[in-house]
Amino acid sequence: MLDTAKETYQTAGEPFLDEPKMRVRNADVFYADKQAIFDVNIDIGKNEVISMIGPSGCGKSTFLRCLNRMNDTIDICRVTGELFLEDQDIYDRSIDVVELRARVGMVFQKPNPFPKSIYENVAYGARIHGLTDTKVELDELIEKSLHRCGLWNEVKDRLEEPATGLSGGQQQRLCIARAIAVNPEVILMDEPCSALDPIATATVEELIHELSENFTICIVTHSMQQAARVSSRTAYFHLGKLIEVNDTSKVFTNPEHQLTEEYITGRIG
Amino acid sequence: MNEDVMVGGHISRQYDEELDEIRSRVLQMGGLVETQMDKTLDALREDESDHIVDVEKLDRKVNKMEMLIDEECTQILAKRQPAAGDLRLIIATSKSVRDLERIGDEAERVAHMVRNAMDNQISKKAFKGLLSLGEQTKELLHKTLNVYARMETRKAVKLMRKDQEIDDEYSRVVLRLIEYMKKDPDNISDALDVMWAARSLERIGDHCINILENVIYLVEGEDVRHTGIKEIKRQLSNSD
Amino acid sequence: MSTSTYNSGSDADQRRANRTKKRNAAEKRFQWYGRLSIAFGIACVLYLFTDIISKGIGAFTQTYINVEIEFDREMLRLGEAPTEKEIKAASFNSFFKKTLRAKFPEAQSRREKSQLYAMFSSDMPLILRNMVIEAPSILGTKQNVSMIADDDFDTFFKHTYGRDLNAEDRISRLSDFQESILGKLVDSGAVEKRFNTIFFTNADSREPELAGIRGAIVGSILTLLVTLILSFPIAVATAIYLEEFAPKNKITDFIEVNINNLAAVPSVIFGLLGLAMFINVFGLPRSIPLVGGLVLTLMTLPTIIISSRSAIKAVPPSIREAALGMGASKVQTVMHHVLPSAMPGMLTGTIIGMAQALGETAPLLMIGMVAFIVDVPGGISDPATVLPVQIFLWSDSPERAFVEKTSAAIMVLLTFLIIMNSLAVWLRKRLERRW
Repeated sequence: MLDTAKETYQTAGEPFLDEPKMRVRNADVFYADKQAIFDVNIDIGKNEVISMIGPSGCGKSTFLRCLNRMNDTIDICRVTGELFLEDQDIYDRSIDVVELRARVGMVFQKPNPFPKSIYENVAYGARIHGLTDTKVELDELIEKSLHRCGLWNEVKDRLEEPATGLSGGQQQRLCIARAIAVNPEVILMDEPCSALDPIATATVEELIHELSENFTICIVTHSMQQAARVSSRTAYFHLGKLIEVNDTSKVFTNPEHQLTEEYITGRIG
Repeated sequence: MNEDVMVGGHISRQYDEELDEIRSRVLQMGGLVETQMDKTLDALREDESDHIVDVEKLDRKVNKMEMLIDEECTQILAKRQPAAGDLRLIIATSKSVRDLERIGDEAERVAHMVRNAMDNQISKKAFKGLLSLGEQTKELLHKTLNVYARMETRKAVKLMRKDQEIDDEYSRVVLRLIEYMKKDPDNISDALDVMWAARSLERIGDHCINILENVIYLVEGEDVRHTGIKEIKRQLSNSD
Repeated sequence: MSTSTYNSGSDADQRRANRTKKRNAAEKRFQWYGRLSIAFGIACVLYLFTDIISKGIGAFTQTYINVEIEFDREMLRLGEAPTEKEIKAASFNSFFKKTLRAKFPEAQSRREKSQLYAMFSSDMPLILRNMVIEAPSILGTKQNVSMIADDDFDTFFKHTYGRDLNAEDRISRLSDFQESILGKLVDSGAVEKRFNTIFFTNADSREPELAGIRGAIVGSILTLLVTLILSFPIAVATAIYLEEFAPKNKITDFIEVNINNLAAVPSVIFGLLGLAMFINVFGLPRSIPLVGGLVLTLMTLPTIIISSRSAIKAVPPSIREAALGMGASKVQTVMHHVLPSAMPGMLTGTIIGMAQALGETAPLLMIGMVAFIVDVPGGISDPATVLPVQIFLWSDSPERAFVEKTSAAIMVLLTFLIIMNSLAVWLRKRLERRW
């Protein structure tokens, strides 16, 4: 698996779309000498919710983190291949990672609000990217972002209180509000509900559904039911390979690939 | 083709057992319905009212069985959230069980007709052709159950053609009955009874076809209802 | 697991009961070990404190002898409106002696006279002169002056006088003559004990009754100021770079190991380094707080770096991820999120490092801060000493009165240390409580 011939892999289903938001071609990811992702080809459509499922260690999170270059923070991680956001190669030298991450936001597994006030949390992105000029504009942006995440009524009276005082589900929605305050085009979600109880999970899922009107959302999830509920397309990863991409309804009733079938029916984990 | 439908191999062995049990219960129920059919035909052949009592007893068993299997399917849906093949198995089973139960009902109806005929001394002439129609549907039922047990979609497609034969036979029986009625208007009420029985047998054939369609859905994931046989063949060869 | 483990029956029950008993006993025993060690520690601390306090409490009072003195112009040979120069030239020494002789006519022999003078602080003529300089109007008047008693007199009065003590418990360097005079003075109500302000306002002195810790305190503050200003930014910058930016390779590993080793190097080595570098190479003067601060900076840097690094490490990586995911740059992430979160830990480490530096003696001896300095330092380039060195110096002095001064200085030093540690605790609580 070293630098002999470059391995190619044919993904089952329909990985390609017309007019995609993001395009990934022949993406390989290495951690030092170990290859984590093998020749992934996929399109991510505009304003679609696409979920990435697969057993632990299958590379789905690694792949997700390629999409906004979060893997850059790991020294030994190397990404090859072509990854486009619309027409821009996001691994191009001329691309500024900071700008990229403003366009491709991210929500993490564990709710990770900053240890600051609720207000400051949502304001942070706007501040560092200089999105607003006046305090009034900023206030408006924050209210709007919190509204969209259904948090406004819950927190409007305590914007100055620490964000860490919110419940887990509220914290995660705050993190989503923080991400959308920058108005990104794509939001990456890395198992956003794995630390939440079922009710909070349902709230976040509902939010994802509403956000899909305006944002492209890529969600990595361990819960197949969640993938089935929230996404319109589903990608199945197995041992670093993208096995199948199909409409979610197809994947969950009649997957094309044997491995997909085995995974979603609970035969491999 | 069979390897597409796996019941075993889940990480949860209990899940395997639950699915296995559902499958074997369906076959068991199929066996009961088949016996019902046999007894009905025996009654038709031998004018023996004991058989009819058996048919009624069996029907109660079949009904219970249907409820039991349905409950198990519901439990699996609630507990396991089955997907893909497992989901299709549950859906197809749930539907097939209803068809089987209907077959049982239809068989009982035929049996009742036979009892009526015995009580009313209906002329043997009127039954002409009914037995052969019954034999044909019984054979179709038997083969259908075999297809279900082995999940053979090719055989299923082949069997679906049999429906036409049964329909033809049914038409012949009907024509004959019309002749019989024309001969003497007094025959009409007798003939109508027989007509209903023939109708029931024909319905049994249709239910068998439903089951076969369910098998195809279960194995191939293709919904082939309201689709011509040619089209079905085309779809299946595509998905290979 | 074999089923026998779960066997019921009297045998298994018996064994289970035994096991439980043994385990509970072991846990009780262990708790008692802990309690005993804590009790031992508290006992030691209590002993230390009572010892120091009982020895040192005396230093906070000073014996004064009220004597009415007539500032006789004749005796001082000063005119109607003397200039400061004239006053300074006047012989207050002989004026003082004459006054005393007049007040205490019992002193006849030469020996008795000199013993009489020795009952008062040798600085008294100087103090009288300063009184006149400050208010020349007192010339020609009678003033009631509280004269500072000599240390021997002071010690005797505080510890021995009026108590029925065995011969070996008596602390007395006074002659019988002096004791008789003391008796008379006490009877006339002229002797009184007052709070010892001299101890806090004076710098060091050869005379115990005039020796104070102000010089040492100021010296310590200046030295620590230099240490803080240098070590905090350097240590924090080092810690941030090593934790957040430096590539993980052999060089950084090597640096890390060395920082950890430096923290364990005996402090006297830093003194030698300071001597060689700052004084011999850079030619800075000895005994100044600047050099002391530099040396202590070298010494406290590893401590602060290590505690700062662990504070930075303790910041959850999810916070960094969140900031990076929002599009913050590396520096923004560190400045906006990592540093504020790590600050309480860093400050605590710094204050503990400072407390350590406050108590340090050895390296300062090496750079000459052990000198006898009578003036309160005015800046970081004035010769100075520091509290622990002052304690060291006094503990070495032969005079009996310095014993209590030593203990008193230790009390002051401990007070500062306790204040600094409480500050660290308070700061941490305050900064952490906010979120």
